[in-house]
Amino acid sequence: MLRDAVFTTLLIIVIIALTYLTYSGGLGDLPPQDIRLIAKNYLNLTYNRDAYWLWTASPEAVSAIVWDYRGLDTLFETAVFYGAILAALTVFRGVAKLPDTAGSAGLSLVVKRSTALVTLAILTVATSTALHGHLTPGGGFQGGAIASIAPLLLLVVFGRRFFTDNRITYGKLLTLRNISLSLLGISTLTILLYGLLINASGYIFQNQAKATSPLSYPSHILDVPLGGTIFFLNLFEFLAVTSGFTLVFTILLSSEEILSKEFEGEDHGY
Amino acid sequence: MDYVDLAFVLMGSVALLSVAFTFLAIRTRDLMNAVIFSSVQSIAYALIYFLLMAPDIVLVYIAVSVGIYPLILILLIKKVGRLEVTG
Repeated sequence: MLRDAVFTTLLIIVIIALTYLTYSGGLGDLPPQDIRLIAKNYLNLTYNRDAYWLWTASPEAVSAIVWDYRGLDTLFETAVFYGAILAALTVFRGVAKLPDTAGSAGLSLVVKRSTALVTLAILTVATSTALHGHLTPGGGFQGGAIASIAPLLLLVVFGRRFFTDNRITYGKLLTLRNISLSLLGISTLTILLYGLLINASGYIFQNQAKATSPLSYPSHILDVPLGGTIFFLNLFEFLAVTSGFTLVFTILLSSEEILSKEFEGEDHGY
Repeated sequence: MDYVDLAFVLMGSVALLSVAFTFLAIRTRDLMNAVIFSSVQSIAYALIYFLLMAPDIVLVYIAVSVGIYPLILILLIKKVGRLEVTG
C-alpha cells in the first residue's frame, strides 16, 4: 500500500514537473509565434484561389492534404483496412451467413426507445462528419468509425437477430461495401478516362484543372463548396468503412455456438 | 489569464486525471472495471487532442477508443472470465 502511494506521488510529481517545464517555455514558444514553412506551403496550395492550377477547392486543409496531396497513401490505407475486414470475413466464412440461433428479445422498452433516439443522433453526426469532410474537420473514415457505433448499439439493445429480422443481410452489407469501394476507385480515375474520351490530358487522382490539363471536378455545386473529388472520396469511404465494421460486428457478436463451429478441430470432421 | 493559459491549465489537469485512471486500470482486479477506467483515460486524451487543435483526430479517437476498442476487449473478457487470477 505504501509502495503504491509512493509510486503515485512520484508519477504526479514527474507530470507536474514536465507540465511546468513545457509551460514555462522549455520547448520554445507554444503555440509557435510564426507560421512554419510547411504550414505556409500547405496553406498556399490548398485553398488558394489565385493559384488556381494548384488549389484543391477544399477549405479544410487537412482533408485536402489527406485526399488530394497524399491520395495514394490514403488509397493504400483503405486497401489495408479492406484487406483486414476481408481476412476476418474469410476466417468466419462458414458461419457468417447463418442466422443467430439465440433469438433474444433485447433489453427493456425504455432502453430500446432511448437507444433508437441516440442511434438516430449518432447516424446524423456521422453523416454530417463525412459529408462536411471538405469544409470542417472530419472525413470519410472518421464518419464511418462514428457510424459503426450505431449497429453495435442496435445489436446489443435490440437483440442479436435485429439485422436478420430487418432484412439487413450479410450479402447486402457485403455488396454495399464492394460497390462503395469500387466507386472509390472509379472516382480517382474519372478525369483520366474522361480525358481519354475527349482527347485531352488528365491524371489519376486529379481534382481541379492543372496547368497541363484543363479538366476538373466541379468545385462548387449550387454555390456550396464541393471540394471536387474530396467530397466523393469521403462519401464512398464513409459507406465502405461503415459497412465493413458492421459486418465484423455482426460476426463477433453472434452466439458462442455459431462462432465455435469455425474453431472445431480434427475431432469434429476437419 | 488568457485563453492559451487556460488551455494549458486544462490540458495539465486532464493529463493528471488520465494518470489517475491509468493507475486504477492497472491496479484493479476486475477486468470490466479496467476497460471502463481505460475508456475514461481515452476521453481525457481526446480532450487533450481537442485542446491541441486536432479535431480530426478527436473524431476518430473517441469512436475507436470509447466504442470499438472496449467492445473487442469486453468480448474477450466474456470468454476468459471477469476476474484476474494472480499467482
